Amino acid sequence: MSSEKPRSGSRRPRRKIPVARLSDFPAGTRMEVSVGSVQIAVFNVEGDFFALFGRCPHQSAPLSRGRLQGTVICNADTCWETEWAHEGEVLVCPGHGMEYDIRSGKAFGYDLRLRTYEVSVEDGQVFIVM
Amino acid sequence: MANEGQPVTVQRVEPSLNPVQDEDLDQYGEELSGLTIVDVDVHVDDTLMFMLDYMEGHFRKRMETVLQADFKGEPGNSLRNMIAHIAWLGSSYDKPPRAKLATKEDLLARMEKGIIDYSILFPSELLPIGYLPEPEWAAALATAYNQYMVDAYKNLEGVKIAIVVAPQQPARAALEIDRHAGHPDVVSVCIPDAGVNPPIGDEKYWPIFEAAARHDLPISFHGIEALIHDNYPLRVAHFHTLMQVNSMGFPFTSMLQIMSVVCAGIPVRFPNLKFAILEAGLTWMPFIMYRLDAAYLRYRTELPALEKKPSEYIRDWYIGTHELEALPRRGDLAKLIDLYQGRDTTMWASDWPHLERDLIAGFMRYEMDDALRRKILGENALRFFGLTARK
Ligand code: FES
Repeated sequence: MSSEKPRSGSRRPRRKIPVARLSDFPAGTRMEVSVGSVQIAVFNVEGDFFALFGRCPHQSAPLSRGRLQGTVICNADTCWETEWAHEGEVLVCPGHGMEYDIRSGKAFGYDLRLRTYEVSVEDGQVFIVM
Repeated sequence: MANEGQPVTVQRVEPSLNPVQDEDLDQYGEELSGLTIVDVDVHVDDTLMFMLDYMEGHFRKRMETVLQADFKGEPGNSLRNMIAHIAWLGSSYDKPPRAKLATKEDLLARMEKGIIDYSILFPSELLPIGYLPEPEWAAALATAYNQYMVDAYKNLEGVKIAIVVAPQQPARAALEIDRHAGHPDVVSVCIPDAGVNPPIGDEKYWPIFEAAARHDLPISFHGIEALIHDNYPLRVAHFHTLMQVNSMGFPFTSMLQIMSVVCAGIPVRFPNLKFAILEAGLTWMPFIMYRLDAAYLRYRTELPALEKKPSEYIRDWYIGTHELEALPRRGDLAKLIDLYQGRDTTMWASDWPHLERDLIAGFMRYEMDDALRRKILGENALRFFGLTARK
């Protein structure tokens, strides 16, 4: 489950926004939530829920419409060999293809992280917490 | 922070198989309404199959063969892809989702939103004909394309056409201009010169400039990746990744086109000719202008026809914003434009529907005065293409 630690000292009132009944939000589906002018993309990936800021910082394409796939990585862990990894957990922007880790919001290859939101499930109802 | 009073909507959505295309206009619809919007670089990608009917003899036969090629699973997909992209096919792992081939219906649907006043249609599959080794084949393709476009896209509100000529056959290119320049929907001639030898300023090509000047038809150079040829304007065959070729191919092509035309004295010889440069971004403009000025000081005697500094010719060139660079600060674009003196020459371009297209948010995120924004979004293009405002 995606979570953003409340900033210490933050006294902002937290608001729970109902997204859908669990039964209406099965694995493999996604919802686009607008709260005022803010868009949030919420995904059910094999039973785990993730909520991220819904507009790509590049040119604002809607991330809720991005595909989930893998990507290529090459680092010390792979002994600098190129490997296909993270299958199903890389959100690809439908604008021009920037890639984000669905779990953390971190953009692959950029020093940039999308805001993520906590998702809670209570009594069969899915909420995001803002 | 979420205020209790903010309206919440939730909708289930599906992943997009094609890149999102037109939602960007909806997003800015209100802000843009009332402004003149000209998109100066728009493509339709299904022209090859229709061109068949405009070809004769052995070239028609050859075209049939081209159309049978099943490339990327799409019969008749672009010649451009076939000859240019094959080396790197798959290198982006189908990310972003591949571009949908835009048709006339797609274009009209985009226009029907009522946000864009004019779309200027540039060739897509024919952009690399400059490096086709057979001049007659290149010229036959250009002739078929132009006649098809004029027949299929005439009298559509807000749709205008740039014809294309094969620079390898300058006399025939001039005839092509003579044939179509008077058509009310033809607003520019595109010279796809990447790959030609000698470079485009050479005297060999002057009949093309002469014809355009005679008809007061502005000339557009549209960048391409210049992927596979190994002569003018840039040897890019040595790079191993499409990213390197793509990012340098467009601006270097454009800089060399400008340098070649200006240093050949073409703006002096044909003073009423207008030029535009498309699909190469903007940041290199100050570089080529002032770099040439510095060299001009030393080498002026090589260019005795010039009557002023190179930058004073180049600042009259119009330039399309696509592929707009992502500058770090919101005020940077206006500063850049000041640097190349481009307030009256910079024109918004999306490159719709190609993968690299710019969503309008990419331009709107930059801060600038309203007058400059209006000029870039439409007023400059109206002047360049000789169009009248529709709003
Ligand atoms: S809008 Fe996301 S990559 Fe361009």
